Amino acid sequence: MKSIYLLQWQRFRREPVLVVSFFVLTILFISVLAGFGTDNKMTVYTFSDASLSDSDRDYWLEKLNESNEFEFQTTEESQARQAVAEGEVSLALKLMKEDYLIFVAADEPGRYLVEGYIHQIYSEQLRLNEVENQLVGGEFHGEVERLLAEPSLTVVTSSLEGEHGSYESDGQLQVLFGMTLFFSIYTIMYSLGKIVEEKQWGTWNRLILSPLSKTQIYIGHLMYSFTIGFIQILLIFLFFQYVFHFDIGDRFGTILVIIGFYTFAIVALSMLLMGAVKTSQQFQTVVPLVATSIAMLGGAFWPIEVVSNPFMIALSKGMPIAYGLDALKGAAIYDRGVFDLVEPLSLMLLFGVICMGVGINLMERHKA
Amino acid sequence: MLETEVLSKVFKGKVAVDGVSLYLDKGESVGLLGPNGAGKSTTISMMSSLIKPTSGDVKLHGKSVVNDPDSIRKVLGMVPQEIALYEELTAYENLKFFGRIYGLKGEVLKKAIQNILELVGLEDRQKEVISTYSGGMKRRINMAVAMLHDPEVLIMDEPTVGVDPQSRSHILEMVRKLNREKGLTVLYTSHYMEEVERLCDRVYIMDYGKVIASGTKEELKSILSGEETIWIDLDRGSPNLVMELQGFEGIQQSTETEKGLKLIVPKGSKLLGKVFQAAERHEVQILNVNVQIPTLEDVFLHLTGRKLRD
Repeated sequence: MKSIYLLQWQRFRREPVLVVSFFVLTILFISVLAGFGTDNKMTVYTFSDASLSDSDRDYWLEKLNESNEFEFQTTEESQARQAVAEGEVSLALKLMKEDYLIFVAADEPGRYLVEGYIHQIYSEQLRLNEVENQLVGGEFHGEVERLLAEPSLTVVTSSLEGEHGSYESDGQLQVLFGMTLFFSIYTIMYSLGKIVEEKQWGTWNRLILSPLSKTQIYIGHLMYSFTIGFIQILLIFLFFQYVFHFDIGDRFGTILVIIGFYTFAIVALSMLLMGAVKTSQQFQTVVPLVATSIAMLGGAFWPIEVVSNPFMIALSKGMPIAYGLDALKGAAIYDRGVFDLVEPLSLMLLFGVICMGVGINLMERHKA
Repeated sequence: MLETEVLSKVFKGKVAVDGVSLYLDKGESVGLLGPNGAGKSTTISMMSSLIKPTSGDVKLHGKSVVNDPDSIRKVLGMVPQEIALYEELTAYENLKFFGRIYGLKGEVLKKAIQNILELVGLEDRQKEVISTYSGGMKRRINMAVAMLHDPEVLIMDEPTVGVDPQSRSHILEMVRKLNREKGLTVLYTSHYMEEVERLCDRVYIMDYGKVIASGTKEELKSILSGEETIWIDLDRGSPNLVMELQGFEGIQQSTETEKGLKLIVPKGSKLLGKVFQAAERHEVQILNVNVQIPTLEDVFLHLTGRKLRD
């Protein structure tokens, strides 16, 4: 087992390009998407059409600019369109009386965040408007505003998630956790994929015919891919915490436990994929498809909390990355400890155990 | 020492090996011959405990290898058909890794590596990564890995495929030396009849999953002892002449060769006159005639109706 484990490190030292490139890619993506750790807000050029008066437009802008994540800047339509076309900004927003339109130059992950936010503000305001219109002679809107500002009763809500309720958005951490967990899938899967290569080259048969047991051979490989995945995630978190001052909270021990459970789940998923394919070429093809799907459905590119489609939410429940992100946000944003995170940790463990069992079984069946 | 008892393997309803029984005595060098798909590699895989037989048994010193695969793994050296090495590592690193998993350590391991590198003639290239080696050099290291732990039995699955003549000669000489001087038991499969003739004491011939003949080289050749082979060089190829000769009484086999044709005829038969006449009829000129005693290749052709490399 030790020999197999050390051999993988020796092979890594000779050909480190793949792993190192995923490490560098992760840092690049996070740096670009999270704005190098500064307090930058995402700029959205905003303009309105003739259906909206200046006062109405200012009202919407005021509402929209209550966000900590986005800055909605008024501009001329032509300028906004040109800025999007030239890539100066990722997207632009057109405000209308009871609707809005988002202009996007290419598939921009951030648009889902913006869209979710605008949709929330618009729905809220339009509901209030509708109720107001149904009430004869009432100044309902103003009354609601006044009551919200001066409530007759003050209710203090306290929950495990904190005073902001079940979802508190932190764009930087979303990008850091999402991208790190996403790219680590590639590192882990390609590292463990060496088993498929070995089976093709014939070295696997050499190992099987040696005095080593099959369990020792598997564990040597699994331990290596686990270690390399774990180290990659850990180094990236440390890098962004100490170099770019990302605030990942004080629960460092809990974060280590979460990384361990998540890495195990992905290692197990890799075993399942290897059991399902026959050649390393097939494996190389399947990995990007699976990694991207898991990341998209599991909320690595945008917070799963902004997704409203029940089907997509149901799908996310089957993605280990969703539990990994949930647990990491729980530890970093809501200051939860390991015992508060039993549910996502157990689900990642369960996912890992099932995938590992089925994967090893499939691999051994291929051999028979 | 090592034997198979009515060994069979069925893959998805297709019989790959059908009741093969063979044995290897200690220090013997045995050849396993057969065309592609004959079942040689499957037989070897079962003998080495890599795959389980559907029925039958493999025994080492009388004990079942099927029930106790570890018994053979410790004493077996397996040279696979493919280059089963880590190409990004050096020859020394490959040998060190495989030596370690066989329990060799420290000075013993170092000495074993130097001895085997000397044997395969690559001690001066040991620090170079395998991916920079030529095909022949890779084959030699492939063998070195199998022999590093000083096995009792060496199973070689076509170890000289795609190898240059110099490396092939080196490999054959090495196996011969280990067999003769160290008493290493060798099971050798090959497409090259001359390699088997040069190396092996006894030969098993397989076709369609079965052993169709076995014995010493002399015993096998005696199958054709009442026959002789006539090689005839022609100025051009003539399939019609080959076909006509096949119909001649007394000619057991007529095959087209690169230079002309080959006939297997009863010993002492006086057929050459008729052959010359037939050649004249087909307007083919005979350039050379060579009468030869049968080779294993002839025996193989006689038994299977196919050439070894078909």
